[in-house]
Amino acid sequence: MKNHIKTVVSLTAICAVVAILLALTNYVTAPMIEKQENAAVNEALAVVLPGGSGFEKMDISSFQFPETITEVYSEENGGYVFKMTTAGYGPGMVIMCGIDANGVVKGATCISSNETLGAEATYGENLKEAKIDTIDSVDTVASATRTTEAYKGAVKDALNAFVIIGGGSVDLRDEAEILADNLSAALSAAEGKFSPVFITAELEGVSAVYSADNGAGYVFVAGENFVATDPSGNVIGEASVDLSATVTAAAQKLIGVTLEEIDLSAFPNMPSQVEKAYKASNGNYVFELKAAGFGINGDEWYNPSGEYIKIKASATADGKIIVCETVSQKETDGIGSACADASFYLQFSGKTAENYGQIDAISGATITTNGYKTAVSKIFEAIKILKGEA
Amino acid sequence: MKNNSNLSILLKGLLLENPVFVLVLGTCPTLATSTSVIGALGMGLAAMAVLICSNAVISLLRKVIPETVRIPCYIVIIAGFVTIVQMIIHAYLPALYDMLGVYLALITVNCIILGRAEMFAGKNTVGKSVLDGVGMGLGFTLALLSMATIREILGAGSFAGIALPFFSDHKIEIFTKAPGGFLVYGIMIAIVYKITHGKAPYKKQFSCEGCPSAAICNRGSCENAVKEGK
Repeated sequence: MKNHIKTVVSLTAICAVVAILLALTNYVTAPMIEKQENAAVNEALAVVLPGGSGFEKMDISSFQFPETITEVYSEENGGYVFKMTTAGYGPGMVIMCGIDANGVVKGATCISSNETLGAEATYGENLKEAKIDTIDSVDTVASATRTTEAYKGAVKDALNAFVIIGGGSVDLRDEAEILADNLSAALSAAEGKFSPVFITAELEGVSAVYSADNGAGYVFVAGENFVATDPSGNVIGEASVDLSATVTAAAQKLIGVTLEEIDLSAFPNMPSQVEKAYKASNGNYVFELKAAGFGINGDEWYNPSGEYIKIKASATADGKIIVCETVSQKETDGIGSACADASFYLQFSGKTAENYGQIDAISGATITTNGYKTAVSKIFEAIKILKGEA
Repeated sequence: MKNNSNLSILLKGLLLENPVFVLVLGTCPTLATSTSVIGALGMGLAAMAVLICSNAVISLLRKVIPETVRIPCYIVIIAGFVTIVQMIIHAYLPALYDMLGVYLALITVNCIILGRAEMFAGKNTVGKSVLDGVGMGLGFTLALLSMATIREILGAGSFAGIALPFFSDHKIEIFTKAPGGFLVYGIMIAIVYKITHGKAPYKKQFSCEGCPSAAICNRGSCENAVKEGK
């Protein structure tokens, strides 16, 4: 029995002494280890926020940040470092961005990504000194539009988050959401379901028209105003006299226009780009075109998709394009695919046979732009043929 | 161990009873940390520090620690010193800490340390135990250094991180991998055997008392087997 007690006591005593020694060592070394680990983190964070010190990780659970923001570090001079995860050409692009106390981007770097170019680490240089009101005007890098757009978007999210931390509020809706909200606000009877109306008449002061899917009426976009009309084109709700007049005039021109398909077999010399043609009841023409872009004429390195760019366009009988829009395309993603962006195809509005070529080409996508332009040029030829002038 | 003078206690660890090449203890950390000279030196010195401290304390407590629980007591003491060394290296030498990684914590189960506690410190005075710790620690460090020198020069073409002119263009990658480690290890054991031929004690001469499992094994039959020269 005595031996047993001695065994227990001696082992317990040794354990206790060792535990005390460990506690003492830890007491001395723990602050140093913590300091070192902080220094390592600070060093990494100072890359995107030069001169920053005393970084501390923030608890972001109480903030309504954009979804890309994953971590936020505050800095003692009032700056912040944001860590974002976004998707560029592929998913999983992790970006860190430092913003100083004045809301200016001081550095951005890509920590890891699955992008194809390998140069994304340097894109952050373009975003230096950007602010929340200037970031939209930063150019994207040619031939890496999608990656740089995502990069820019993530840094913009960081700038928005900076405003949120400062107690401000930001509009986190994207363009489609803003449009949907504006349309619903103008015509609540449509219950949020709208379709764009293809414009077949020259409208003054109206840039776009949407019809309610349930037949409740139309919404005309005039400048920054969204004006609702009933199904027969009478303005509903409040609008200034001028605005009402503009919208009423547009409605009268547009609503009730019917299209009649033209039998193209009667026109053997019709260009092959013209797939279908319609005569509108107001005298204008509507064309469905196919353009041979990179999908048809691409080189073997990039495997052309074999698909044409499909275009729908309306034009007046005297040869002036009303609107032109891309219906579908399979051009190189992130490069030629920009032909589906409104900023590209809306350039053709109002163009004639003389000046249709005066548009900005898609950077890095000469074959796509040229194929598109060629198809558009056939509109003027087709009108002449249909009118029997050629 | 015919001559137990202090000098011979210190020197025997270097060659005649070298823990790595003659006693074949601590093989795991030897193979794992002998890819670079700096890592090997750090590992050797860390193990030596633990060995000296644990030998001293175990020798000091050898009359207090009850026979039946001596292995748990040794392990607690060794683990305590390993953790202290680990914390100190983490605080003052973070680069070395990152390099050694998990092998630093694994010094706890390094057979050399427990082996020396059982074989020597548990039976000798504090002074002699410290000398034994220094000798064995130096032996371990030298063994690691010699292996790391060969492996780093041939495998990585550098010495202590400095690129060597001819070797950096003719790297033999296998020396940085586990098979290369075994290869060098085997050759070194052969060389040491050749040098000490006839002088180095056979392993079984101290195998029983030095065996960490001696406490739970049937000692009698083991010792008799040794005596009978089996």
